[in-house]
Amino acid sequence: MATTKIVVDPITRIEGHLRIEAQAENGRISNAWAVSTQFRGIEIIMQGRDPRDAWAFTQRICGVCTVVHAVASCRAVEDALGIEIPPNANLIRNLVHGMQFIQDHVIHFYHLHALDWVDVVSALKADPAGTARIARSISPWPNNSETYFTEVQDRVKKFVAGGQLGIFTNGYWGHPAYKLPPEVNLLAVAHYLEALDWQRDVIRLHTIFGGKNPHPNFLVGGMACAINLDRAATINAERLEDIHGMIQRAQRFVEEVYWPDLIAIAGYYKEWGAIGGGVPNYMAVGEFPDADVRDTSKLYFPRGIIMGKDLTTVVPYDHLKVKEYITSSWYEYPGGDGVGLHPWEGETKAKYTGPKPPYQYLQGLDKYTWMKAPRYDGHPMQVGPLARMLVAYASNHPDVKPMVTDLLGRLKVGPEVLFSTLGRTAARGMETVLLARRMNVWFDQLVGRIKGGDTATFNRTKWEPSSWPAKAEGYGYLDAPRGALGHWVQIANGKISRYQCVVPSTWNCSPRDGEGQMGPYEASLVDNHPLALPEQPLEILRTIHSFDPCMACGVH
Amino acid sequence: MSTIMAAPPKPLPRTGNYRWVSLWGVPIRVMHWAAALSIVVLAVTGLYIGKPYFMTSGEASSHFLMGWMRFLHFTAAGVVVMTAVVRVYWLFAGNRYERWRALVPVSRKNLRNLLRQARAYVLVRPEEAPPYLGHNPLQQMSYTMLYAIAAAQVVTGFALYGQYNSAGIFYRAFNWIGPLLGGIPNVRFIHHEITWVFAIYLPIHVYLSIRADVLEHNSTISSIVSGGRMVPADAKFQDD
Amino acid sequence: MYSPTSHPWTEGETLGHHLEQRGVSRRDFVEYCGGLCAVLGLGNLAVPRMARALQTLKRPSVIWIQLQECTGCVESVIRTSEPTIGNLILDLVSLDYSHTLMAAAGHQAEDALQSAMKQNAGKYLLVVTGSVPLADGGVYLTIGGRTAETILKEAAAGAAAVVAVGACAHWGSVQAARPNPTGAVGVSAIIKDKPVINIAGCPPIADVITATVVHFLTFGRMPATDGDGRPLFAYGARIHDQCSRRANFDAGQFVTSFDDDAARQGWCLYHVGCKGPATFSPCPIFQWNDATSWPIGAGHPCLGCTERHFWDTMTPFYGRLPDIGGFGVERSADIIGAALAVGATAGVAAHAVATGIHEARRRRSLPIVEAPGGGSSAAPPSSPPSVKE
Ligand code: HEM
Ligand code: HEM
Ligand code: NFV
Ligand code: SF4
Ligand code: SF4
Ligand code: F3S
Ligand SMILES: [Mg+2]
Repeated sequence: MATTKIVVDPITRIEGHLRIEAQAENGRISNAWAVSTQFRGIEIIMQGRDPRDAWAFTQRICGVCTVVHAVASCRAVEDALGIEIPPNANLIRNLVHGMQFIQDHVIHFYHLHALDWVDVVSALKADPAGTARIARSISPWPNNSETYFTEVQDRVKKFVAGGQLGIFTNGYWGHPAYKLPPEVNLLAVAHYLEALDWQRDVIRLHTIFGGKNPHPNFLVGGMACAINLDRAATINAERLEDIHGMIQRAQRFVEEVYWPDLIAIAGYYKEWGAIGGGVPNYMAVGEFPDADVRDTSKLYFPRGIIMGKDLTTVVPYDHLKVKEYITSSWYEYPGGDGVGLHPWEGETKAKYTGPKPPYQYLQGLDKYTWMKAPRYDGHPMQVGPLARMLVAYASNHPDVKPMVTDLLGRLKVGPEVLFSTLGRTAARGMETVLLARRMNVWFDQLVGRIKGGDTATFNRTKWEPSSWPAKAEGYGYLDAPRGALGHWVQIANGKISRYQCVVPSTWNCSPRDGEGQMGPYEASLVDNHPLALPEQPLEILRTIHSFDPCMACGVH
Repeated sequence: MSTIMAAPPKPLPRTGNYRWVSLWGVPIRVMHWAAALSIVVLAVTGLYIGKPYFMTSGEASSHFLMGWMRFLHFTAAGVVVMTAVVRVYWLFAGNRYERWRALVPVSRKNLRNLLRQARAYVLVRPEEAPPYLGHNPLQQMSYTMLYAIAAAQVVTGFALYGQYNSAGIFYRAFNWIGPLLGGIPNVRFIHHEITWVFAIYLPIHVYLSIRADVLEHNSTISSIVSGGRMVPADAKFQDD
Repeated sequence: MYSPTSHPWTEGETLGHHLEQRGVSRRDFVEYCGGLCAVLGLGNLAVPRMARALQTLKRPSVIWIQLQECTGCVESVIRTSEPTIGNLILDLVSLDYSHTLMAAAGHQAEDALQSAMKQNAGKYLLVVTGSVPLADGGVYLTIGGRTAETILKEAAAGAAAVVAVGACAHWGSVQAARPNPTGAVGVSAIIKDKPVINIAGCPPIADVITATVVHFLTFGRMPATDGDGRPLFAYGARIHDQCSRRANFDAGQFVTSFDDDAARQGWCLYHVGCKGPATFSPCPIFQWNDATSWPIGAGHPCLGCTERHFWDTMTPFYGRLPDIGGFGVERSADIIGAALAVGATAGVAAHAVATGIHEARRRRSLPIVEAPGGGSSAAPPSSPPSVKE
């Protein structure tokens, strides 16, 4: 049977500019290339800047995970200069980052990922009473009435009848891979709309601590939002109460809408527990420190590596074993393309060798993407919610272990289904639930400290450049919604002399390395992967979206 | 040439035949001191605006420290602009020591004297300096430069000032400065740095005035008060 | 439950009819128009006109293209705050192409773009986020194998108007910061044959974007702008002149270090680098995310994100003056300036001493002259500086 060449460009409902090229044979994908088609050069732009400004520049790597680069950058600079931030600042960063996770994951599920599984047009045929029955059986959410779902359905009907389909134009409606009954489709459509409103409310936590969202403000050495219960312009009881409400509304939505919906939908797509596993190594750098971030024993999500799907062993992580390769990427290294460089020796020198645009195909070219290829000790790694949950599960995490066991029991499947497209999507929901609960703990701790008289949010001892050494280097890690993130900074005479970021999407969207090892996107697409209608690559979207790609992050 | 060498002996004898040379008209003198005073005020208040060292405490409503500093700055700025207008008019209406020609050392003679004057200063040989009644070429040059710098300060100052009201006349009149210099922060930067040029200029200017007076008994200092100088009746000057 | 697609219009329906269907009373609607007019700074006289225009409006096509960017601007729009205002405005349009939200991918997505452009030629509103990398033939951003420049030019050709949303589309933002490795420029550097409105900010406040769109739909033209193409209703005044901490500025009350007593009083952030005095933006008035707070409100100095080239001219962010040439102006320039001023004074003093010595020597070599009318005095007639000064 002949090979079909496939190009999906743009991959929509993601952050940024991703192109997937593939080859299909007999309804399966036989080869795949993941291509990032945007480069900005932010690592180059960082050179010569004030290290205290770095968070703001690197934050603009991505406006979707708008918190993570800023915090990783602060941590890198704080590591280089030996700054310890006050406990309140750490708690505030946890709260801000925690809400980032929750909001980001919910948006991903409903607005970016859902249409891969949910057929909007099919929702028109649903019986709203049936939807209400299903909804009530899985959740106590108050909007679970027949009237409510009828109203939603009427709106969608009217919308479709109007002929102007807007963002739903040319969707793959009616594709044979859609399996949900109309009633569940309607449920998901209703919550698609509801989530849009919900996210806008809960993200205001960023605005209170950081002044705005997207791109809230951070500060090397702590946080800029002062605490004073007796002033209007500071963090006071009114602000704390507002935050408390958001945390409760976030938790409720996650527990009563997102998580039940996810389980309900997953039940119809169990075969995706055997599809799209890909790279069998999973890496988590850990996140949500309870104390100084350098104390890696006090992280809510633990650090470690699972090699070859072996859940009996957690391999310790050492950042010095991270190297980036450019064998397949449009860059050049002074020492030649064959070597890998640790970020402290990292180079970002663009050298495009691809075809002159407009072009048709990149598949088969030696170099085909702007993405570098990070490797841990020579191995490609999957990062993200699944990696975090697997590492925590294998470490017998008191919250994660029972959660995973419970989920597998409810879906009546074994742990092997986790290494899949479905596993990535399920793990994302799972950690959202855990974090939504955990937010309360951080909030209570913050309030407790303020009650105890500690209002410090900033450590000023190393603020002035005159207090810095002539040369310093630091590593700032952070496990972001999409996975393990690292910022490496070198400072010479008060200025940044080198800045390198290795980002979750760099790991996951990595191209082939010198040994021909594919990165996770590519490897997943060729791992037992169906493609019913090459003209309508719905299955490709499912697996790619299960990673929640962020191209602006990956290349920067 | 020989007249130059036969320049008035220094210092001048205390008695002899002297004549009165009228150099600076009333407008120049008044303007000089008005400008001098306001430039000092501008530099002092400006440096506070740039880096407010002193602070107040308590309720904001009971203080207006920065407000006063800015008020003084803008008032003094107005005075400087006013003196500049008069001075520019006087560049054409004044006597020959005040006219624009006396501020630009372009003739060959003046250029040659410029070098000699510089040499006399550098080698500390005041007696070799070519004698002038008004500004010697080096002074001509330095005053002209100072005017240019003051103009830059006024223009950048008004570009900053105009920002408070983007529909206002100052904004409209000076809105070309920001883009020209690559943004308002650069304007502020230049405005800030020029202040240091003034701070450097000031001691030199005052020193040279005093020095001339002391060495030559030529009443430079009083000339900017009284308006003129007594010089030996027979002495010859480059700009007589 | 309000959201862009939850109250869709049927073909040919007017907003007036649509709202009636939704149970929005005439009075509420006029009130809503009043609110919009206030945001736009139009005054009450414009209310009836806006109400009439909006009521008879049909759902126009909006094509949103995303170029070299971080998607922060899209996220900002997704957070439109005021449910009534934000959602009514998004309800006004048919979003026919949006990378982030659309269901279709690949060539189906590109087909949707092509047909929207064709069907609404000359009538659609083009929204652009992201910059255009021009260096090296545009290889730093391709979509569907085509360069950003090609895509932008094609989409702009048939647009009724072009709205450049965010610093990237305005002038290039972070990727255009020194040394601008990809040659990134804003929309108005490419599209010269029709007005481009710049919604400044990195990202801008969502309400500013939506209000601009409503203005266009209501009056058939864009709102008045400043010299940089930014709508005056939003960017007409400086942050510094609208700031809640201005009283502290005038009083001379400044935060000198984060989390100091002054910070805990909510004093002015000028000393720690606030760029409010050079930044035109409605942040203090509109505020962010449902008027929850804004950067200065949350204790952090303004970065100046609505101004062109703020990554270079407003940095270091925690310093008051730009770091021109990157040698640490704040630290060095004042030191150098003060040193030169002191140096000049010292030099002048040294020169005075040298002159004094020289004069003393010279006078010793001069013949003694008779002072007329007086007893002989030892030359030189002394007028030592010490006496005079
Ligand atoms: C002891 C104090 C000072 C003395 C004796 C002095 C003396 C003089 C004299 C004799 C002139 C030449 C007259 C003229 O060309 O107008 C002059 C010019 C000038 N002085 Fe001063 N000055 C003093 C202080 C200052 C100060 C504090 C400033 C302010 C920065 C200043 C700024 C100027 C300027 C701008 C000129 C050029 C004016 C012109 O040529 O129109 N002077 N000064
Ligand atoms: C010789 C003349 C002047 C000197 C030495 C001077 C000095 C200064 C200095 C040092 C600053 C602080 C700069 C900074 O670090 O931000 C400043 C600010 C300023 N100056 Fe001047 N200045 C002069 C003339 C003027 C004039 C003619 C104007 C016109 C109105 C002006 C308007 C301003 C304004 C608006 C500011 C900024 C104030 C603020 O941001 O609140 N200055 N000046
Ligand atoms: N990949 C990625 Fe991010 C995340 N999460 C960053 O570190 O999305 Ni923009
Ligand atoms: S303007 Fe700022 S927030 Fe918007 S896309 Fe560009 S970098 Fe992101
Ligand atoms: S905080 Fe910034 S904008 Fe507000 S008054 Fe102070 S300097 Fe001006
Ligand atoms: S940084 Fe930008 S968001 Fe507003 S307060 Fe300053 S303009
Ligand atoms: Mg990198």
